[in-house]
Amino acid sequence: MAATTDHEEHTDAPASPPAPRRRGGGPVATAVSVLGELLITAGLVLGLFVAYSLWWTNVIADREADKQGDKVRDHWAEDRGPVGLDTKDGIGFLHVPAMKNGEVLVKKGTSTKLLNNGIAGYYTNPVKSALPQDKKGNFSLAAHRDGHGAKFHNIDKLKKGDAIVFETKDDWYVYKVYATLPETSKYNIKALAPVPKESGRTKAGRYITLTTCTPVYTSRYRYVVWGELDRVEKVDADRTPPAELR
Amino acid sequence: MSLVPWCDGRDGMYGFIWRILPGNTWIKALLSIVLVLAVVYVLFQYVFPWAEPLLPFNDVTVDNQ
Repeated sequence: MAATTDHEEHTDAPASPPAPRRRGGGPVATAVSVLGELLITAGLVLGLFVAYSLWWTNVIADREADKQGDKVRDHWAEDRGPVGLDTKDGIGFLHVPAMKNGEVLVKKGTSTKLLNNGIAGYYTNPVKSALPQDKKGNFSLAAHRDGHGAKFHNIDKLKKGDAIVFETKDDWYVYKVYATLPETSKYNIKALAPVPKESGRTKAGRYITLTTCTPVYTSRYRYVVWGELDRVEKVDADRTPPAELR
Repeated sequence: MSLVPWCDGRDGMYGFIWRILPGNTWIKALLSIVLVLAVVYVLFQYVFPWAEPLLPFNDVTVDNQ
């Protein structure tokens, strides 16, 4: 483990041949040596931070998301009345086949603390999101691009026409992507409007908006994907998924 | 004197830690590993979770602030 430096070697070379080198060759050598070790240490810590951000946060977030998802499914199985109103545990699961990441639990709110659990959240602030069962409005979601489950990591794989399926206790809401915005300002809250004009739509409808950060590994801009409701399917006894997920 | 020749009399923080660790080379090595794991644990459990929100890598929402 002793990561040592060889700086002092030239300082006392001719005087003492292979004799036990006493530590240090003077204040300069000591300073250089300590500085070198500090730099090595800083490099190791930064490397560990990368491992933490891109790997470890995913491990703990996925674990937490699985736990919370199981809880929601248990509640559904127990049939405790209308789950659509019970927003604390999560309102349902997002399935995006093009992102190839299985199901994503969706809960209310987009605070960092919440999203760090490896879930997606629907906006309550600055623009209040509609819910899928609402007659009109924009169901707007956010999730992490990297780390903490990285649930929207592959958002750039979504193309026009791809399916976004939202599963609630009783219904499958099948949305189709119709517009993407690969880069926008992080202040662009108009993207979340009930009628997202930027996407090209001008009439009220049942929209879904996915937001995350871009480019990958940073948060300089936001990536936005818009979809609109294609159809709603009732969940059957076996919870047979709609054609898009098979 | 240390039993590890390549570490003999070297200076610096890591050399110092190696010297003050008790026991022979194997015990020193074992203690070093324990120390490394302890440092990694503290970093992952406390330091990184504290530092992460301060760095601009993980803001995913659009907002007006």
